[in-house]
Amino acid sequence: MGLALLLGLFAFCIVIGVPVAFAMGIAAAAVFFYEGFPLLITFQRITSGITVFSLLAIPFFIFAGELMLHGGIAIRLVRFASALVGHVRGGLASVNIFSSMLFGGISGSAVADISALGSILIPVMKEKGYRGDYAVNVTVTSSIAGVVIPPSHNMIIFTVAAGGGISISKLFMAGVVPGILMCLCLAVAAYIVALRHNYPAEAFPGWRVVALAAATAIPGLVTAIIIVGGVLSGVFTVTESGAFGAIYALALTVIVYRSLSWEAFKTAVVNSVRTTAMVMILIGCASAFGYLLALYQVPELLSRSLLAISENPIMILLMINLMLLMLGMIMDMAALILICTPIFLPIASAIGMDPVQFGIMLLMNLGLGLCTPPVGACLFVGCAVGKVPIEETLKSIWPFYLAILAALLAVTFIPAISMTLPGLVSL
Amino acid sequence: MPQLHQEVHAVKSAAVVCQATDKVLTLIRSCCVLLSSCAMVVLIAIFAWLVFGRYVLNETPTWVEQLALVLVCYIAFLGAAAGVKDNTHLGVSFIREALPAPLRRSLRILAEAAMTVFGLVMFLSCLELVAFGWGTLLPMLNIPEGVRTLPAAICGGLIFLFAGGRTLGMIHKYWIGYGTDGTPPTEHPSSNTGVR
Repeated sequence: MGLALLLGLFAFCIVIGVPVAFAMGIAAAAVFFYEGFPLLITFQRITSGITVFSLLAIPFFIFAGELMLHGGIAIRLVRFASALVGHVRGGLASVNIFSSMLFGGISGSAVADISALGSILIPVMKEKGYRGDYAVNVTVTSSIAGVVIPPSHNMIIFTVAAGGGISISKLFMAGVVPGILMCLCLAVAAYIVALRHNYPAEAFPGWRVVALAAATAIPGLVTAIIIVGGVLSGVFTVTESGAFGAIYALALTVIVYRSLSWEAFKTAVVNSVRTTAMVMILIGCASAFGYLLALYQVPELLSRSLLAISENPIMILLMINLMLLMLGMIMDMAALILICTPIFLPIASAIGMDPVQFGIMLLMNLGLGLCTPPVGACLFVGCAVGKVPIEETLKSIWPFYLAILAALLAVTFIPAISMTLPGLVSL
Repeated sequence: MPQLHQEVHAVKSAAVVCQATDKVLTLIRSCCVLLSSCAMVVLIAIFAWLVFGRYVLNETPTWVEQLALVLVCYIAFLGAAAGVKDNTHLGVSFIREALPAPLRRSLRILAEAAMTVFGLVMFLSCLELVAFGWGTLLPMLNIPEGVRTLPAAICGGLIFLFAGGRTLGMIHKYWIGYGTDGTPPTEHPSSNTGVR
């Protein structure tokens, strides 16, 4: 009865439009009350869910991403990508994807990626004769790289949701190849569509321009190297790395690039606070909600049910992927990481999947959900930035969805893609 | 006719009260954003000091981690309360928005009412937590542990005010028939947005 109340009330709150964090909080509070626990336990769990030291990295990652967005690093990355890959057929699409790979690797945020790169690249692509829906499709789908290529604050949320037993260093390394693979699949899809529409190629500017663009972009890329390198080398904890990365980005944009105005700094701080608060309250409420899910043994129940349907690992993984994709369509990423990890991770472990590989698979699935209606933050922001109706975008987005699905299936069924790099650097 | 005049006067008076209340709530929301932004800047500054102390001075300031955990509570809870006022928390509104107008309006009010009750319960429970932890000192900082749970109580109180204010505004608009500014009712789709 308690479990029915928990899930029923949560579902009802979601349907009537209560924000996800508070829907979890309301359901948890009601069940704690129903089970005869003091109500303050709910809020004690919410507070203790937030005050976890490793979670302190999240505000730093978010702040570093905001500085990238407002401090002029994005435009330098685009110039570098344009000089390097702009000369292939449909060159600006390749520039877009390559820029996402570089920028996403630093900011770790898909929406920041679209806001930063979309506002620069979509108008330029349209001006050069590319269709608006094509420009938006490329921008939106390539932004998923931000959640898979390290550093990504979603990876920290995953490690917390998994109970803290997963090495963040391993997860960082595991995301590199799948992120690059996904971008390559997208580049192939973009190239094929570009051939069909006969989109132009940019002129190769020469190696001197490439070297110059690289020289101005590299200081920005160092932010990611500091964060990931600091964690991998063991010199910094993930929180210290995040803090050092944020401080470096601040110094870079203020002292070196001199492109961060006082107004832009204030905007970056306020935006960081808004996003941090949203993520943290979600984590806190999910902590109370997850406590009850564990109390009612939901992961074990679901695991037994899924294994009763089929014991074939391929079928189970396909079912998990399908469920994650469907959930990703209707709910946002951070909430789903927190809800789905404790439920699906034991099932994946039971069929022999490494938790790190599962984490990357989960992030890719939920990342794709960011680009699908009806709840797709990236899709909405991309369409708004590109001033293209969602319906028009959806008519031509399928080649890009298929490209990401191909990468997702490869990551799901070929462990070497995600697990080779963590193994090589023996973390 | 005099009765109609009285009704119009009552609606306008209510609208003035609602507008004034909304201004006060907006001011409180701005204070929350300002405080949590300051907490964010302090958080970055103290971590810069931590890194400098540990790797340059070879002397780790041990208080930083404890203070950071306190600051993150202020950022999270005050920011979350401001998010309730701005309606920026992640939510799923498309199901409700696809329903017929009368049902949709009722569900909007119900959602806000649920948030209001949750805010009140959070406020009262967290006050208990604050009182419970006030006698214990946080290690390294030597300040009462209740200081860390205080923002949760404030957050609960503010959610109660923000969501409660919106509930009353909706009732005024949908059932009495006039907006808080005295204008006739119009549809306002929910603005829950998804981020990251």
